[in-house]
Amino acid sequence: MAKNPYDVLGVSSSASAAEIQKAYRKLAKKLHPDLNPGDKAAEEKFKEAAGAYDLLGDADKRKRFDNGEIDATAAERPQHHFYRDYADAGDQHAYTSGAGFADFMDSEGAFADLLRRGQRARANRRGEDLHYRLPIEFVESISGATKRITLPDGGTLEVKIPPGLVDGQVLRLKGKGAPGAGKGGSGDALIEVEVMPDRRFTRDGDNILLEVPISLTEAVLGGQIRVPTPTGDVTMAVPKGSNTGTTLRLRGKGAPRRGGSAGDELVKLTIVLPKSPDPELEAFVENWAKGKEFDPREGTL
Amino acid sequence: MTLNKQEFLISSGLRVQTLEFWLEQRWLIPTEAASGTQFSDADVARAHLIRDLKSDLGVNDEGIDVILHLIDQLHGVRQAFALVRAAFDGDSRKV
Repeated sequence: MAKNPYDVLGVSSSASAAEIQKAYRKLAKKLHPDLNPGDKAAEEKFKEAAGAYDLLGDADKRKRFDNGEIDATAAERPQHHFYRDYADAGDQHAYTSGAGFADFMDSEGAFADLLRRGQRARANRRGEDLHYRLPIEFVESISGATKRITLPDGGTLEVKIPPGLVDGQVLRLKGKGAPGAGKGGSGDALIEVEVMPDRRFTRDGDNILLEVPISLTEAVLGGQIRVPTPTGDVTMAVPKGSNTGTTLRLRGKGAPRRGGSAGDELVKLTIVLPKSPDPELEAFVENWAKGKEFDPREGTL
Repeated sequence: MTLNKQEFLISSGLRVQTLEFWLEQRWLIPTEAASGTQFSDADVARAHLIRDLKSDLGVNDEGIDVILHLIDQLHGVRQAFALVRAAFDGDSRKV
């Protein structure tokens, strides 16, 4: 139950608007938390007085309160932070002044040293690091790219993706974070890069894995096929008698490593039969299989 | 959390001319970034304090100047005092 606002302000219920304002100002000058930075209790008392004044200082609200239409709980002010909460947090901002003790710092001795060191530390605070997330395409993670991040304040940040970057890697852009104070310098921008999955490629360390379908003809007789790599298509020779699961290696077509070398692209072949049954193929295989014994499941099942 | 000028005007309920005057008086000192003026939570709270002083406590502009100057010194002294306390308590990390 909130207190009677007349009691809080210490005025009678017949007090004039001017008397109410005067009573509130008298209390607020004493109780305003920003005029009492070290007094925790002042805040509660000030809120009580401010709430009472919100109610009684407004002729309309006062009338409704006097008529019993609203009660004293209507006198509760919404929460807000007082300036002292920030000024005391120890963060550097432009306002805090050392003028109140500057003369103490001019003297010799441990006490003055301490104050001077504190002053320097505060004056030269480094800016905060700012964190961002950046999604990129798989291909960009292999070949590198230049991306642009739009910052919450509307500015942009250019990010160079180094070739061979892995998912979750954090890039540090020196000095692109929040500004510091004095000689403290700006903080860094830390960018966590998320590599989006690719429908063709997956990555295993420095190697890139890729499955490529081949026809029965290419499997049996061999041939040249075109294969995608992150840096463009290449022609690859499929050797005679290749099988599903046969893995071919494209040297140096994987993710770049530090020092100039690179991993490989590993191409796993999958034999794919024609989509619709082919009577000619069936007749041929029937004929071909006669008298041969080959059990691919031998020893495995 | 930082606000740009437009957001700050909305959140503080100040009129543009009022804010311009306060900035001119250096009652508020927001950060000037490449992307424009940035108001911190501390700036918002300080604006609230100035408004309390002016409207609730009836302080005039001259009075605001004096009060802010003294409050800023008071917080400087409080920070120096916190430093001395930390040194006394042997907490050298904060010193």
